[in-house]
Amino acid sequence: MGSEGGFSAQKRVFGGLPAVRGRPSSILPRGRQIHTTFKNIKITILCGFVTILVLRGTIGLNLMSSGAEEENRHLIEETNRILAEIRSGKDSDDLVEEELFRPNKTFTLGEKISSWDEDRSLWLEKNPEFPRLVNGKPRILLVTGSPPNPCDNAIGDHYLLKSVKNKMDYCRIHGIEIVYNMAHLDKEMAGYWAKLPLIRRLMLSHPEVEWIWWMDSDALLTDMVFEIPVSKYKDHNLVIHGYPDLLFEQKSWIALNTGSFLFRNCQWSLDLLDAWAPMGPRGPVREEAGKLLTANLKGRPDFEADDQSALIYLLVTEQDKWMNKVFVENSYYLHGFWEGLVDRYEEMLEKYHPGLGDQRWPFVTHFVGCKPCGSYGDYPVERCLKSMERAFNFADNQVLNLYGFRHRGLVSPNIKRIRNETVNPLAYVDQFDIRHSRTRD
Amino acid sequence: MLDRVLTRRREWQLRRFPKRGKLTLFCFVLTVLVLRANFGAGRLGTPEKDLDEIQETFSYIHRRVEPHRVLEEASVVDRERELSGGTGSNSYADFDVSKIFKDEDDGVQEFKRDSSLPYTLGPKISDWDQQRGEWLKKNPEFPNFVTDNKPRVLLVTGSSPKPCENPVGDHYLLKSIKNKIDYCRVHGIEIFYNMALLDAEMSGFWAKLPLIRKLLLSHPDVEFLWWMDSDAMFTDMAFELPWERYKDQNLVMHGWQEMVYDEKNWIGLNTGSFLLRNCQWSLDLLDTLAPMGPKGKVREEAGKILTKELKGRPVFEADDQSAMVYILATQKEKWGEKVYLENSYYLHGYWGILVDRYEEMIENYHPGFGDHRWPLVTHFVGCKPCGKFGDYPVERCLKQMDRAFNFGDNQILQMYGFTHKSLASRKVIRFRNDTSNPLQLKDELGLLHPSFKAVNVQTRI
Repeated sequence: MGSEGGFSAQKRVFGGLPAVRGRPSSILPRGRQIHTTFKNIKITILCGFVTILVLRGTIGLNLMSSGAEEENRHLIEETNRILAEIRSGKDSDDLVEEELFRPNKTFTLGEKISSWDEDRSLWLEKNPEFPRLVNGKPRILLVTGSPPNPCDNAIGDHYLLKSVKNKMDYCRIHGIEIVYNMAHLDKEMAGYWAKLPLIRRLMLSHPEVEWIWWMDSDALLTDMVFEIPVSKYKDHNLVIHGYPDLLFEQKSWIALNTGSFLFRNCQWSLDLLDAWAPMGPRGPVREEAGKLLTANLKGRPDFEADDQSALIYLLVTEQDKWMNKVFVENSYYLHGFWEGLVDRYEEMLEKYHPGLGDQRWPFVTHFVGCKPCGSYGDYPVERCLKSMERAFNFADNQVLNLYGFRHRGLVSPNIKRIRNETVNPLAYVDQFDIRHSRTRD
Repeated sequence: MLDRVLTRRREWQLRRFPKRGKLTLFCFVLTVLVLRANFGAGRLGTPEKDLDEIQETFSYIHRRVEPHRVLEEASVVDRERELSGGTGSNSYADFDVSKIFKDEDDGVQEFKRDSSLPYTLGPKISDWDQQRGEWLKKNPEFPNFVTDNKPRVLLVTGSSPKPCENPVGDHYLLKSIKNKIDYCRVHGIEIFYNMALLDAEMSGFWAKLPLIRKLLLSHPDVEFLWWMDSDAMFTDMAFELPWERYKDQNLVMHGWQEMVYDEKNWIGLNTGSFLLRNCQWSLDLLDTLAPMGPKGKVREEAGKILTKELKGRPVFEADDQSAMVYILATQKEKWGEKVYLENSYYLHGYWGILVDRYEEMIENYHPGFGDHRWPLVTHFVGCKPCGKFGDYPVERCLKQMDRAFNFGDNQILQMYGFTHKSLASRKVIRFRNDTSNPLQLKDELGLLHPSFKAVNVQTRI
């Protein structure tokens, strides 16, 4: 009953309204009509706007901007492709690699030369303006290098750059020329073996050079004053850092280090390079040689033949032929393994001074195993990079000393002034320039 | 039933609810949609993005920004990856090297310039020529001339001590320095690679001023200092600078007289590669240029003056090149006599007009000209490979830098019998067979033992 009443009440109410609404429009006054029309238009516009919003939200403006977006995507792809291409080293006109495996032909570094000593002396006589001695010192050529493509990570290239600056500073102070190689001269001798054809080529092209000093890209010079005592080696042709007992008694694969060594420019060196090379050619030769080396050298892990193990094996097995001209140097760090050195820089700064070259102030700090140009090293990355930065700054401080500056700590790229500018700069030059202090001694 | 709980009015209101409710519900949904549209719903985007997209459709410049955005994103991705790598990680990809950089006090006293005083490069030296002359006399083993006609030259270049923002930037810096090492070895020139900011106030392009002054004063045996930007490469390894021509000059830059003195054009000369003699005149010139350099208000204001005074200069802070044009043009009587604006060869060669012609040059000419036929220097102005944003498309810059590098490198490799497979290729091939008589061979360009590197026979002892 009640509900009926409610309904009827509703009906009554709604009966009222429809009566109002139900009135045909023609019966409405003009003003009212226009007012209603405007209201309807407003609602229509509002609804239209909302529809657009919703549609845009779901479908987006793809139809309108499809051209620009595709172009952008294209650009992104292009850039990624360029970066990848640059990193991989693939060329657009790269043909399939020629057959490397030459079954019945033994590898040679080049045409056999037997009279190099005579040829070279003759040349030096005929060309007195390119002497082998400069200011009384034998001409040294420092050779280093890195692969032609970018490192796997940008930080690798940054440390290659710092490393070459470090070498340039040392060589400028000591009058040594540098060759920075970025070319693979011999496809078969790739990787660590690439130094062999390079050294041979440079020796033969530069008869005026007395010593070729090979240095790895991950080795930094940390004693800017120390000079290699070449007079000590007048009867030797190969100077290499190592330990004779490790070499002959233990036959250890790390008895010598080929990351930093000196080769005299002479027939003996060419012969040694020829004897050294056969284990190098990429492929089955190198693999087999690797197995032989692992079997014969103490502590050597299983991997393809590397130049260091091959040299050790050669010198051990053909001791009588070669060792009388090889100087195994350990009185200073011609190669200094970084792990035992980098944490002691502060101690060295406190107690010692540059010029010693040995464990008190290492000549070379060599970051073996860090491999910053690759993707993975043998040591934690933070330790490697921090240590390399320290070594670089340790050396750079010795260079900046002349100019009156110093790094703000061994891990800072920023420098501070440690000597005021003066109107008499030459007094400081005499005191602090490494070159001048050397000649006076 | 309801009317038992509520009054009739309430009941009526409730019954009206579905109808009114429809409208309310509709409005509610609208509000939600609009809010979502404004604050974004991820995939669905916002009206602002719409505006951006519309802008991009019609904007050419934005299209070029894409590659840089990619590089930016690449570095962001790297940074994200690094967060996942711990201190023990052996992977270089995960590591952000700026973590290890830290300023520390090692106890050595620091000397700071009094910043309340107006900026100077250092106390005024007035007798540098006499000081230097005396020193050279006392130190005959450090002569300022390596042969009768050839002065001792120090090539100076450099880059930031921190890694480049662009992931391939350091690689191109490495190639660039190798290129300079090669030229300088062949020509008997020493190199100084600077990676230190000597004066924080003189940052950016002005950093070369305190550096140049410091090197001039610390190396009195150096006769000419050759500044070269890191984005400039040697492309003619055989060209030796005509030192005789400059025996009465103190500053040699690439440029044109009319453009500098008459037009006051801001690119009338280029300070990306220039020679500066080690003498009092040079110290005075550096002192005259320096006041426009100090970072901040001074540089901004100076920039405004330079834009006003020089032809074609856009609005930005003062740079050393514009300052040089301004000083020379306004003080011609004082400096002009000792300034040589060289344009008979490309002491600086703008890359845009050179790089596409390398093949044509190889076909028609040979190294040694140094000019438009075979440019001495190809200077990649505006490419900025170390930074994130250059003025030109990334691909063109990097590919052309590779080509310029190989173009120059071929001249070095030919000494040893090798050449690049093509100007775009990193691979090298042998073009001269190995021989058992290497000394009989003469390298075509005569770069192995060139005359300009021959030592005076006296020094042999």
